[in-house]
Amino acid sequence: MSTAASSAHASAGITVRDVTKVFYRGKEPLTVLDKLNLEVTPGQFVALMGPSGSGKSTLLNLIAGLDRPSQGSVQVGQSSVSNMADSELAKWRSQNVGFIFQTYNLMPVLTALENVELPLLLTKLSGAERKKRAQTALRVVGLEDRSTHYPRQLSGGQEQRVAIARAIVNDPSLIVADEPTGDLDRQSADDILTLLTKLNTDFGKTIVMVTHDPAAAERANVTRRLNKGQLS
Amino acid sequence: MIPLRYNARSLVRRRTTTIAAALGMALVVFVLAASLMLSSGIKKTLTQSGRPNVAIVLRKGSDAELASGVEKAHVALVSAREEVARDGSGAPLSVGEVVVVITQEKIDGNGISNLSIRGVPENVYAFRPTVKVTEGRPARPGTDEVVVGKRARGRFKGVDLNKAFELKKNLPVQVVGVFEDDGSSYESEVWGDLETVRRGFGREDGVSSVRVQLTSPEKMDAFKTAIEGDKQLQLEVFPETTYFEKMSEGTSAFVNGLGITIAVFFSIGAMIGALITMYASVAQRRKEIGTLRALGFSRSSILFSFLMESLMLAVAGGVLGVLAALGLGFVKFSMMNFASWAEVTFSFNPTPEILVFAVVFGGIMGVIGGFFPAVRAARVPPIAAMRGA
Amino acid sequence: MNIPLLAARNVTRNKLRTVLTTLGVAVTVLTFVLIRTVVAAWYVGVEAASKDRIATRHKVSFIMQVPKNYADTIRQVPGVQAATWAQWFGGKEPNHEGEFFATLAVDPKTTLEVYDELVVPEEQKKAWLENRQGILAGDVIAKKFGWKVGDRVNLVGTIYPGDWQFEVSAIYTAARKSIDRSTVYFHWDYLNESLPEQRRDKVGWIVSRIDDPGKSATIQASIDQTFDARDIQTLSQSERDLNNSFLGMMSAVLGALDIVSVVILIIMGLILGNTIAMGVRERTTEYGVMRALGFSPRHIATFVLGEAFTLGIAGGAVGLAIAYPFVNQGVGLAIEENMGAFFPYFRILPDTAIAAMVMALVLALVAAVIPAWQASRLRTIDALRQVG
Repeated sequence: MSTAASSAHASAGITVRDVTKVFYRGKEPLTVLDKLNLEVTPGQFVALMGPSGSGKSTLLNLIAGLDRPSQGSVQVGQSSVSNMADSELAKWRSQNVGFIFQTYNLMPVLTALENVELPLLLTKLSGAERKKRAQTALRVVGLEDRSTHYPRQLSGGQEQRVAIARAIVNDPSLIVADEPTGDLDRQSADDILTLLTKLNTDFGKTIVMVTHDPAAAERANVTRRLNKGQLS
Repeated sequence: MIPLRYNARSLVRRRTTTIAAALGMALVVFVLAASLMLSSGIKKTLTQSGRPNVAIVLRKGSDAELASGVEKAHVALVSAREEVARDGSGAPLSVGEVVVVITQEKIDGNGISNLSIRGVPENVYAFRPTVKVTEGRPARPGTDEVVVGKRARGRFKGVDLNKAFELKKNLPVQVVGVFEDDGSSYESEVWGDLETVRRGFGREDGVSSVRVQLTSPEKMDAFKTAIEGDKQLQLEVFPETTYFEKMSEGTSAFVNGLGITIAVFFSIGAMIGALITMYASVAQRRKEIGTLRALGFSRSSILFSFLMESLMLAVAGGVLGVLAALGLGFVKFSMMNFASWAEVTFSFNPTPEILVFAVVFGGIMGVIGGFFPAVRAARVPPIAAMRGA
Repeated sequence: MNIPLLAARNVTRNKLRTVLTTLGVAVTVLTFVLIRTVVAAWYVGVEAASKDRIATRHKVSFIMQVPKNYADTIRQVPGVQAATWAQWFGGKEPNHEGEFFATLAVDPKTTLEVYDELVVPEEQKKAWLENRQGILAGDVIAKKFGWKVGDRVNLVGTIYPGDWQFEVSAIYTAARKSIDRSTVYFHWDYLNESLPEQRRDKVGWIVSRIDDPGKSATIQASIDQTFDARDIQTLSQSERDLNNSFLGMMSAVLGALDIVSVVILIIMGLILGNTIAMGVRERTTEYGVMRALGFSPRHIATFVLGEAFTLGIAGGAVGLAIAYPFVNQGVGLAIEENMGAFFPYFRILPDTAIAAMVMALVLALVAAVIPAWQASRLRTIDALRQVG
């Protein structure tokens, strides 16, 4: 992460413009997001809150380039995410987005270090270089001594920290987190939030986090609430 | 008890793996049933024409008609024994026949093969009442006319109704009829006039074998002792049933051995397939099983339920396999009979015993394959109901 | 760590299932190898048949004889280097009634010329040539009957009635697979002299050795041509065709074995496909995560195929590891010893082993195609949604 400060795309701004997302349940259209606008400045830490079904996860998916809007545009840094083809999106995600999931989603057959190294397999880096970077990322989350452990040998909080290391190993300009503390006890949750705050302040990462937890939202610079597909 | 409907629906819901596992079982049962059917078909074909009151007389030491020879004078001597039955005119019920094997070109382009030719006397139809000429007419005695067995016709060049072929060079024969004998091995032969065959093959001095019909099966021992006791004759006597069984032994044991060995190996593979499927099923349904336990179902009822599920899977496969094997009833299978060196055509003979055995075998595979997964299912604690899937 | 390794690592996820699948594939590989070895053993006679030998027999039937002096005529046919003759004796060993083996009455001197792959110690060879009642027996059959050089033995004739007295003069082994090691040879003269006048000087078939295997067909034709005008016509076949015509009569069995081989491959494919499909279904979320991380559909497909490939290799290797000792040291030896007349050589051929391995791999990949395609087609967000 020592290179993070000098990186050209250390952080990215986000512009969501007039985005509508319609899902179909059978033939019944269901408008999840309705002409939604959102501006995130580079280096901001934004919390998205709202009741179930308010569309916050859908918005997160659109920003992260996992899905495309039915109408409107999503711009992340210099990239127009809503206009990219699937394969372009995949490449873009691998270089620009770090993911943190509620259920950590580590590969059970890989060690902590190998899990962190996983996204780097998509780069042209040498094996030694990949290992070095993965170790660096594990150090950032304070788990360098757990590098040979398998996920089942780690606690929930530790697993989530490995997942965070995985999210930052490719030095993304944007980190998206979907309920990162949802499965954790208070103490572990606080550790994770501290870590996210550090990534935001020390490394200047733009972070978008979906959460139910007011304590988590407090750590963000800005909290936006969604209700019935609209920001309030 | 947990209703079987629950298991049936579980199988249907996971239909891809169910079908894969059941197909594996079906193939095993198919192979097993097919080999047993063929082996039974071979036995039936080779032994069914044997009658307990008919004795076959061969030269001592010769295993089969093909290697045997009985002198002309001895034919009369054997037929004149008091144990031999007589027809209305007082003539003994006996036939002396010459059996040879000729090389004939096959129609399917598979080169040449061996065809059995039997030189038969005039009274052959009286002696073997089950043999019926169903097309054309019987051959006239003392001519170069022949009749062909239903299963030999159409397999060799010229060996078909109203066609002609050469027994040997300059000895053409005309096929004037086709005979049937309820699927016996005679149907794979060509029957010609005794004298014609004798002349053609240098057997003027005698015949290959003599068959006599005894007044009753109980006379067999007396007849055997009398003939074999005469050291001048150097002949051996077998009840026709025993002789045919001996003829079929090698071939049917061969098919049986090969088929059963293969089926056993196959079944290990299929059982492993069932094991994988059932283990996966248990793993996926931990929550369901936990719920059943929480509702008060006992471990043993869970065990039984999963065993039943595996059994259903296997029996479904087994029935499918048996049905496919039944389809083989239309297939004719020609191979060399080890005892006569000639090709004989067999068919697959489905007996109820074989079909039931094959399905039961499949069921046993299912129970064995399902046992360990069922034990694992029975060990799922009720608390699993509360945890995630 | 790299992508193929990552794919292979997935087989450790459900160890029990991987072990079972490997065993399942191994058993099917073993069965496949066994069946193909049976088929191959049948063809060994054809494959190994000498290309430079021609057998000539009565045109009408193998049970009819040709005059012995035909051998002299055949020796005059251009291209023929040597000729010998033989008569099927059909002997039985009184202590081993059920045992099938070939007993041939032959002309010793010319037989050793024509069948130059018969390996006989010089001393024993001399003894056999000189002893009119001498037997030359294959080492396999000699071992089974407990015969040693110098033993006096009896054979019972099925075609030539009576008890025949012999002395074991020599025991042979074979330099090539073209001859089985279970045959008993003895002097044709000894048989001939004991026959009544009108049955003498006839033989079952004549075998000649030719100078150029390429001219085999021509020479066969000219031999048969030579006898065309005689009372007894002949049918000449290369040793290969002769063995082939025996196979022709077993073609239905061989065909059935071919079908069975296909069936076993289908079972193998079902086992593999079942396991792979289950693995893919259970790992939907993971594939979603990988897609989110930027892995492409092609990567996902590669993971599934890589896992299948690993299973195929493991199953194939374990199967062959079991098959080799099982067949070559177990069943094969037993078959060669007990059914040597039919299967003189019952071993796994390299081709069979390679075919089994290739089939395991190909089937693993084929079985993985649909699951791989399905996994790669998953929409990332749908796959992630399965989290719970």
